[in-house]
Amino acid sequence: MLQKRAETPIENRNYSKFYLIFSGLLFLSTLWAVVDEVAVRRPWKTYQGEYYSLSAEKIREQYREAMAAVDSSAAAELSSQLAEANQRLESKEYKDAVKKADDLQLALANATRRWSFARSNSDAAYYEYKTTVHEGHPSENLKKKLDDLDNEIAGYAKEMADISTQLQFVNAILGGYKNTADSLDVALKALYADAHKLKSKFEGIKKSSIDIRQVLLNDFDKSNFGEVKARVDRCQTCHLGYSDKNMSDAPQPFTTHSNPELLTIHNPEKFGCTPCHRGQGHALTAGNAHGDTDHYWETPVLRGKDVYASCNTCHSMRQALKGVPYFSKAKQTLLESGCYGCHEINGFTNLPKIGPQLNTLPAKVKPEWVYRWMRNPKEYNPRTRMPNFRLSEEESEAITAYLFSIGQESSFKLDRPKGSYAGGSASRGREIFELVGCKGCHVVGDDERVRNARASSYDIAPELTHAAGKLNPDWIIDWIKNPRHYNPTTKMPSLRLTDQEARDIAAFVMTMRDDRPKETFTGDIASHEKIARGAKVIREYGCFGCHEIKGMENESKVSVNLSDFGRKKVEQMDFGDTKVHHTWYDWVGNKLKNSRVFQTERIVQKMAVFAFSDEEVSQLRMLLMSFRVDNPQPKYQELVTQRLTDIDAGQKLTIRYGCINCHQLEERGSYFGALLDEPAKGPPMITIEGAKVQEPWLQGFLKSPSPIRPWLKVRMPTFSLTEDEINTVTKYFLGLSKMNLELRDYAAFTPDPHLLPDGKKLFTEFQCIKCHQLGGAEIDPASVGPNLELARGRLKPEWVVSWLKNPEAIQPGTMMPGYFPDGQSPMPDVMHGDAKLQMEAIRDHLFTLGKKK
Amino acid sequence: MKIFNSALMSFAVLSISTVTMYAGDIAGKISFDGKAPAVSQIKMNADKQCLSMHPNPVNSEEVVVNGNGTLKNVFVYVKDGLNKKFDVPTTPVVLDQHGCQYTPHVFGVQAGQSIEIRNSDPLLHNIHALPKNSPQFNNAQPLKGMKMTKKFDKPEIMVKFKCEVHNWMNCYAGVVDNPFYAVSDDKGTFTIKGLPAGTYTVEAWHEKYGTQQLKVTVSDKGAAADFKYAGK
Repeated sequence: MLQKRAETPIENRNYSKFYLIFSGLLFLSTLWAVVDEVAVRRPWKTYQGEYYSLSAEKIREQYREAMAAVDSSAAAELSSQLAEANQRLESKEYKDAVKKADDLQLALANATRRWSFARSNSDAAYYEYKTTVHEGHPSENLKKKLDDLDNEIAGYAKEMADISTQLQFVNAILGGYKNTADSLDVALKALYADAHKLKSKFEGIKKSSIDIRQVLLNDFDKSNFGEVKARVDRCQTCHLGYSDKNMSDAPQPFTTHSNPELLTIHNPEKFGCTPCHRGQGHALTAGNAHGDTDHYWETPVLRGKDVYASCNTCHSMRQALKGVPYFSKAKQTLLESGCYGCHEINGFTNLPKIGPQLNTLPAKVKPEWVYRWMRNPKEYNPRTRMPNFRLSEEESEAITAYLFSIGQESSFKLDRPKGSYAGGSASRGREIFELVGCKGCHVVGDDERVRNARASSYDIAPELTHAAGKLNPDWIIDWIKNPRHYNPTTKMPSLRLTDQEARDIAAFVMTMRDDRPKETFTGDIASHEKIARGAKVIREYGCFGCHEIKGMENESKVSVNLSDFGRKKVEQMDFGDTKVHHTWYDWVGNKLKNSRVFQTERIVQKMAVFAFSDEEVSQLRMLLMSFRVDNPQPKYQELVTQRLTDIDAGQKLTIRYGCINCHQLEERGSYFGALLDEPAKGPPMITIEGAKVQEPWLQGFLKSPSPIRPWLKVRMPTFSLTEDEINTVTKYFLGLSKMNLELRDYAAFTPDPHLLPDGKKLFTEFQCIKCHQLGGAEIDPASVGPNLELARGRLKPEWVVSWLKNPEAIQPGTMMPGYFPDGQSPMPDVMHGDAKLQMEAIRDHLFTLGKKK
Repeated sequence: MKIFNSALMSFAVLSISTVTMYAGDIAGKISFDGKAPAVSQIKMNADKQCLSMHPNPVNSEEVVVNGNGTLKNVFVYVKDGLNKKFDVPTTPVVLDQHGCQYTPHVFGVQAGQSIEIRNSDPLLHNIHALPKNSPQFNNAQPLKGMKMTKKFDKPEIMVKFKCEVHNWMNCYAGVVDNPFYAVSDDKGTFTIKGLPAGTYTVEAWHEKYGTQQLKVTVSDKGAAADFKYAGK
């Protein structure tokens, strides 16, 4: 054939077959392009159709229900009445009346016309008559004509009045007919009002147009060159039911948003969806929009609780967010795990080292124990926060050698001579241990109540179940009497133990032997080579990130900065020999679960192995997702006010010192309550402290706590906080109560002498002293309320009034009863029953009690 | 289909008429086996006023074993099988504080029904109710003759009341969503009146000895439900 064609002269060749085939193909592909464009590539059109029919169906169902809910007998009666009334509008009487009214109307018009003509005639006659009189002509005839006309007018006027009266009467009858029908109609419509509303909603849905719904954020993003960039967000094109309460049980993409309350402060009509949920906002197919099929889209949609990563986008300075416990807990986990020791992380800078100082170890432990701990801390204390560096025997020995060499060089001496721990009673020690609150932080034996209440994989203080195998008993005395002697920056507080109490506790701790089999230690830790090697190993692993170690003061963090880790590309991640799925998500999850998982012969990894629970891995991964430096424009971010900064600092500090272990603070804490039969009898909730207590009192109390609540057996510890730390706590509490630190002379408050007599009377009648102690130096353990003589120097005057008003509202579960239910006084005969005045009077009386300091 | 429907209708009508026509009582006894715990006495020393109101010692009401070997203060109620909503009675249940004790010590109330709490003592009491399903309340009644009205919105077995002023004072309310409940008396008996015929799960609750359940079928002649508790 080809040959043939070649042989055919060029002008005789025929291409019509090819033209036919190709034009056929062109036609088909055009057809295909149109179909693809219109039908295949616009799944959202189908979704919108489905949504509208689903919505219409639901509304129709509600309409049916609304119709069924209508009191059918009432409706039937109303309609029959209405029909009857309408029927009467058709009756002969009604029609006659209508005709009569028409006739009367006509008659009235005629009479009125006649009357006005007569009036005109009368005016003319009057003029004629007057002119004649003025001209002196005879006028009797004219006068008579005028009088006749006037009589005629009066006659017409009477006729008009008569007709009007009749007309009014007939109209009243007609109105009766009409009004009955109208009011019945209104009543019937009211009965069906709900149903009608649904019906018009239904009609509205039927008329809805199919179109793209988009929100434009003109200035949310920045380009890589720092220029403002618009963001198009079209999620609502398919996710149509996010604010439709009817859709709570509908399938995706129509489901109602799971947290409608959140949407009231982050309006999707203004913000769109992608600022929180991420994804490719402008895409119109699920795969591209969610990022499942577009692997080059860097911010795929956040699934499940990972969506909370977005909170950090605009609220990055928040350590805790109200209503988002998962977010707050994640930040707590990060803080308590000390990630910032090795990694630079924005928002977690300048924090104290998480571990104890290691410069004076010989006073506390033996080299054998340190070696064992180095080999694997979790082997000694499975719940310790110290991760496992998987050090070799040689490395462990070298570190032990270095730490003991600096320890021996140090001038630290225990306060008491050797052997002064002796003389304690272990059984008494156990009682004191439980009584004063040690169990608020330390786990002993199988009592894991506080640990379980905390729900973390780690303890924030060492478990003491095997403490005797570790500690020097003389060190225990020194430590519990004054923890800051051995470690000036420790968070272990003093519980103001007497020497005997300290000896008793030491005796108790020394009963907690460690009989587990252990590796024997025969290493040499004295040689200079070993010590030098130890320093090298410590530098390699970065132990100084968490511990203060002499000679390592100027080292910097050993690992990578995590502040932009959320944007790290999967191509930059090494998966070693593993078969782990190549995604950011899987890499991070596996790394957090076992930091050495991607190690190979050539690629050595140094990060220590933690023992995070799956929940904690998810939390930390969510936070890592949130660490990005490409934050939106400042106007979208929460304003960093002084108040927020104060709160953030306070939250970090109170987590560090374990305040939340015993106290409820904001939405967390009070784990100590797990040890009590009645949580109300535990340490108080302290979220309200800023509004409640006088700042000078708070600062004095933090420096040197004294008992306030007689029922509390556990002691508020002395944390020996620095002035800075005390100020942080003060400003934190004030910030929580939306107050500012201001200089205020509380002693200047003077009770109003006019209120005092009634205040005293109320104080007596209310029998406050049935529960509250009054006076006396010691706290009477039998009383159930604080000594009221403390009030004047402790409480803010305005707070006492709000407390009296409704204690339960301020502190749910409190033992203090409300005396003014619904703001009503139980004593209407005092101060005219003015509840507010009565509260002030009681307060003023309270502030006269006790000695003025 | 039509025949089936009409059959269903007539069955429904019939069953409704049976329910409304016949009603029976559940009567029963709470027997107590084994050794009764030693009767403990309430020490009211913390409040001299309370102490002076009782010339004779006052026994704790936690476990009251009657002379006939039965248990007092057991709350018995229909837990399951009613499948109907009941109107809330308009008359309140009365809880009195008298002689620094709550009267009654155990009582029933319908969810949403008013509880009138009275103070018949010339001294301060506070009523701290500790429900878990409804909001807590804690109010003081410093004067004799004071009254207040409270209610619980949701059913709960049981709601504890206590007085923070007098740590020995407590009582329990069984909050149920039907009117079929009773508390065993000083003969250990109880009667739940006017139940429609049917099969029910009846539960008994005791402050110390916990709960027990029985399946009870009530006919027009009523039914019996006897519970047995044993001392531990």
